[in-house]
Amino acid sequence: MDHGKTEPVRRNVIRPFRWLALRTASAVLALVVLGGTLVPCFAFDGPSPDPAGTATGDRTTTFDAAGNPFVLPPPDPSAPDYAEKKKAYDEFQAQLAKEPLAGKLADQVGHLRIGTNFSWTLLTGYLVLFMQAGFALLTCGLVRKKNAGHLMMLNFAAYVFAFLAYYAVGYAFQFGAVAVNAAPLNLGGAPTLNQFLLGSGQWGFLGGKGFFLSGSAYDAGSLCLALFEVVFMETAGYIIVGAICERITFWAFLLAELCMGALIYPIFGCWVWGGGWLSQLGLSKNLGHGYVDFAGSTVVHAVGGFAAMALAIILGPRLGKYGPDGKSRAFPAHNLVFVVTGTFILLFGWMGFNPGSTLGASDLRISVIAINTNLAAVAGSATALFLWYWMFGKPDVTMACNGMLAGLVAITAPCAFVSPNSSVIIGILAGVLVCLGVLLNDRVLKIDDPCGAISVHGFCGWLGAVCVGIFADGTYGTGWNGVGVSSYLGHAGQGVTGLLHGDAKQFMTQLLGATLCAMWAFGATYGVFWVVNRVKSIRVSPEAELQGLDVPEFGLSSYPEDAPYVLEA
Amino acid sequence: MTKIEAIIQPSKFESVKSVLLELGIEGMTISDVRGHGRQKGHTEVYRGREYTVDLLPKVKFEIVLPDDLVESTVAAIVKGAATGKIGDGKIFVAKIDDAIRIRNQERGPAAL
Repeated sequence: MDHGKTEPVRRNVIRPFRWLALRTASAVLALVVLGGTLVPCFAFDGPSPDPAGTATGDRTTTFDAAGNPFVLPPPDPSAPDYAEKKKAYDEFQAQLAKEPLAGKLADQVGHLRIGTNFSWTLLTGYLVLFMQAGFALLTCGLVRKKNAGHLMMLNFAAYVFAFLAYYAVGYAFQFGAVAVNAAPLNLGGAPTLNQFLLGSGQWGFLGGKGFFLSGSAYDAGSLCLALFEVVFMETAGYIIVGAICERITFWAFLLAELCMGALIYPIFGCWVWGGGWLSQLGLSKNLGHGYVDFAGSTVVHAVGGFAAMALAIILGPRLGKYGPDGKSRAFPAHNLVFVVTGTFILLFGWMGFNPGSTLGASDLRISVIAINTNLAAVAGSATALFLWYWMFGKPDVTMACNGMLAGLVAITAPCAFVSPNSSVIIGILAGVLVCLGVLLNDRVLKIDDPCGAISVHGFCGWLGAVCVGIFADGTYGTGWNGVGVSSYLGHAGQGVTGLLHGDAKQFMTQLLGATLCAMWAFGATYGVFWVVNRVKSIRVSPEAELQGLDVPEFGLSSYPEDAPYVLEA
Repeated sequence: MTKIEAIIQPSKFESVKSVLLELGIEGMTISDVRGHGRQKGHTEVYRGREYTVDLLPKVKFEIVLPDDLVESTVAAIVKGAATGKIGDGKIFVAKIDDAIRIRNQERGPAAL
């Protein structure tokens, strides 16, 4: 057996001019990016970073249950009400001098609160990290046996390379300006991340501090946020595996992961979570609370799902997937044990994904979020199960799993803002959408999506964001994105609200933002990889594809019975 | 020397194996195979698309015997494996030219 490289039947004719042009362009781009990122590294204007975490959560950031700071910070001399604030501050300082114990207590309480929230954020982040294993199992089980190792390697390499890209530039692009409009107060505010690279104020497009997680980002609070946010980016990174597997080359995949971690994910993420323009539409254009996505139906899942769609279209379907009459052929899953185990691990990890997005255990809405998440999951699964049974006569295990994931994806944006009953309805809607989506891709659009990633994450991610605009009931999210701090729609304490509770503008904003997300993820990915594919095909040779990619790409079989015989010493 | 190849239903595996041991036959090679005779497959649906399952799991016994034991062995296998339904399997009988024991290079019926 030939263990060397598999020779492609059709040779890639390397056109010298195109190759040289690509190499030169890459070199110039690398220099620009590196040069551009090194400069902000050394800019230290604003608060100093706190790498040891000793100054985070001190007396100036202690809040009571209603969000009032315990201790007044020193007032800003340039503020219009400086005189008034200075008087209150001086009075407080005088009182503090008489009761030093109260000040020390405020210190301890503040630090403890921040410590609790750090623990919460980091631990829920680890749960999300564990979802990598779940998705690896799920996708591996859904493909053919000859590609098991290939799937595992894609999922593994996705984590590794997307992380490096995000560390280098992604986090800075996404959160480099978070303190401007979206400071994570539960973690101490990350005050050092306060500069946009592109845009400013309410129209920020790209963050500009914290490259290589250094300088301003080398700070306990900022890195706590970074851990949490990198595992969310990883989720978008591995979603694409579900649609591109069994035929993409490894190098093209690595490029896709680097793009995802450096550009595709962080840019949209900046617009929504990094204090960027989509989140500020409530203030800048009076559009509800601005675009709201609690834990990332669009920021994470739709970005991954629509990027996957673009890549799947460029790649084309697997060999033999569509017959000469245009009808698709079944490529049954090789291991249902992996599929279900993987789905359960994803469900478990989602208990970190959604409740963790409060970035703090001090926000007691976490219990409501946890329940809503589970309700949508089971409603989605039950709906998909029954719908498929009604359509095809037997309950399909893989569709039941996809239904659960669809429910989870769809509830990810609205989970904090809706009631349990609404969560069930959202789960049902997602269950229906994922079934229709799978059939649409398979039969109408003829996009080969081995694991249903486009339907589960793309379509249902879009649905989730839109559901915020329909079902949000105003019981949570007061002052979200800076809107309606004292009152909203005539009520004090009214939070994010949807169409069914009287806020049509929120619905329009959600529709706008979710659709923009789909266009961005699809467009950016398609644009980059259409070019890449023209230079060098991102698809493996037909021989390698028919053999299964385990041996041609990685030189190893995945299962003991397929392993080469061991030579005795 | 004669080789018997018996392809049977997997659910009858234990029954045939015990019948063979009762007869005193100690050498056999067993493999998991897939196939069909006149037994047709059936259609299943995976994620909305039909596919045919026409290769069914079976178990194959390969036994090499002295000629005089063949008829009794065949009858015993039939007794152990038959259910009376389509898909019970088949037995093939063939002549073997030679048999060699690897350990001590013995040849012929003594090697069985």
